[in-house]
Amino acid sequence: MSPDFLNFIETVLNGLMTGVMYSLVALGFVLIFKASGIFNFAQGVMALFAALTLVGLQTGQVPFAHLINAVLGTDVHHWGPGLPTVLAILVTMLVMIALAFLIEKVVLKHLVNQEPIILFMATIGLAYFLEGTGDLMWGADVKALDVGLPSGGSFWWEDVTRNWAPAGSDYFGMYIDTLDVSAAIIAVVLVVALTLFSQYTATGRALRAVADDHQAALSVGISLRSIWVIVWSIAGFVALVAGIMWGAKSGVQFSLSLIALKALPVLILGGFTSIPGAIVGGLIIGVGEKLAEAYVGPLVGGAVENWFAYMVALAFLLFRPQGLYGEKIIERI
Amino acid sequence: MNQHIDPGSLRADDGIEKGGMLLHVDNISLSFGGVKAISDVSFDIKKGEIRAIIGPNGAGKTSMLNVINGFYHPQEGTITFRGEKRRRMKPHAAASQGIARTFQNIALFKGMTTLDNIMTGRMTLMHGNLLTQALWVGPAQREELAHRETVEKIIDFLEIEHIRKTPVGRLPYGLQKRVELGRALAADPALLLLDEPMAGMNLEEKEDMSRFVLDVNQQFGTTVALIEHDMGVVMDLSDRVVVLDYGRKIGDGTPDEVRNNQNVIDAYLGVSHD
Ligand SMILES: Nc1ncnc2c1ncn2[C@@H]1O[C@H](COP(=O)(O)OP(=O)(O)OP(=O)(O)O)[C@@H](O)[C@H]1O
Ligand SMILES: [Mg+2]
Repeated sequence: MSPDFLNFIETVLNGLMTGVMYSLVALGFVLIFKASGIFNFAQGVMALFAALTLVGLQTGQVPFAHLINAVLGTDVHHWGPGLPTVLAILVTMLVMIALAFLIEKVVLKHLVNQEPIILFMATIGLAYFLEGTGDLMWGADVKALDVGLPSGGSFWWEDVTRNWAPAGSDYFGMYIDTLDVSAAIIAVVLVVALTLFSQYTATGRALRAVADDHQAALSVGISLRSIWVIVWSIAGFVALVAGIMWGAKSGVQFSLSLIALKALPVLILGGFTSIPGAIVGGLIIGVGEKLAEAYVGPLVGGAVENWFAYMVALAFLLFRPQGLYGEKIIERI
Repeated sequence: MNQHIDPGSLRADDGIEKGGMLLHVDNISLSFGGVKAISDVSFDIKKGEIRAIIGPNGAGKTSMLNVINGFYHPQEGTITFRGEKRRRMKPHAAASQGIARTFQNIALFKGMTTLDNIMTGRMTLMHGNLLTQALWVGPAQREELAHRETVEKIIDFLEIEHIRKTPVGRLPYGLQKRVELGRALAADPALLLLDEPMAGMNLEEKEDMSRFVLDVNQQFGTTVALIEHDMGVVMDLSDRVVVLDYGRKIGDGTPDEVRNNQNVIDAYLGVSHD
């Protein structure tokens, strides 16, 4: 294989890895949108909040330390060495479930049967509230997140691929980040688990039923409120996974909540109601953006990665507004 | 067929004798903005009977079912189900107390298989709530199998074995209606509300559906409220008939009484209302 072709493959592979991250965030959106017709603006912030909580628990930070110190004149910051990673992840998950309960009790319950735009605005409010709470609880500094996943380039893969090039060519092998690989594997496991859950459990069936027909679901006695709590908990779980991946890659910082913006083109591509759409859409955007950067970038002076996704989304909005797999949705938001 | 659909049912015994009062609605009035859908209607449904609700288009029949299962909340009147009187039903309460229904415009879960659709009918008979079921997968799975057995019986009963695994959105209309009946039956209902179960069917399908409704009523003793436009079907199946017209009750009695009621004849012949 020629080095040019190998470079192409490397770009595609890296694009797929990035795409998996996009898919993960988009998946959280789709789950909530399917079950309740709500476009959850706070999905990105939920990922941030989950990651902040995880780091806080892992490092033994005292929540609301600044507030406590300011009010009581104390100087608390850490309560100890922190929880082991696995335990910290479990506790964070409990926090996300509690958050889902709270959102249902405090926000959604009072907005039943409201226009989608009102629910959307409520999620904008929620996003700011969560961001503020995250800041207040854990502080605004950038934190490193280490959950023990391997990271750095894979030498093994570099060695393997080096030999694919013709002998004598100055090709040094493909670079692939092991953290990206673990992220991709975890994302695949997550999607398979979610699929099994929704296909083979009574709760999953109820979720599908609600997504399919609200009124029929009510008539068989499915409680919409329980469904909402479940869906927001699952979305919280997906946010936690996404938060861990992004946090491990680029540190836990408030710009993390902006990954939600990257999910938007993915959703437009994949359709707001399609889980396969979210996955395929994420991969396409990821690969497309890396390829564009590598092959179009040099022609236009780089930085294609920053706007490519939005251009694709714009094209889709013009020519295929329902996305690759979605149902007619544009009028719903 | 004399197997009980669910012998161990939670709802098998509610202490009401056959022929006793299962439900009565009193002085129900319902309007949407300026449109009066139901005006001061009262009637009752006795345990074990097939009670037809008939009337011309727009008479308020569907609205009445929606009041009974809690989709609509009437401005006036009360609903008494199994001796408990209330101003309005809530859909969840109605379902968990054994009121199951089908819809005039089929409301199935179109992306799901026949089997899954009918399984959702068991929802209120499952122990624990959706949250605990999601968390305790083991016990939930065992329970699932027991419900599955009942659902297979319903599938046999309705003669739809061949479409068990077909997504219902792909089924022809007549079969969809049958699956919807199956979903309602799966709830082991104390009161089965059927909104035009035979509308749009050919003669053979109508005969099948009539037979199912009759069998359900006679073999399981299920109480049925049936909205139907086909007078032949109504006269054959029902024990008593209530007639609505422009949201008012204009007749109530046995099929024979209703057939000879002058108001009813006028309404159906389109005699002007003034
Ligand atoms: N959700 C609603 N909003 C506004 N008006 C409604 C609503 N539901 C019913 N109505 C009105 O109430 C009246 C009774 O309608 P309903 O559907 O109960 O009649 P019906 O007897 O079932 O008629 P059909 O035989 O055509 O099914 C109609 O005028 C209808 O337009
Ligand atoms: Mg009707």
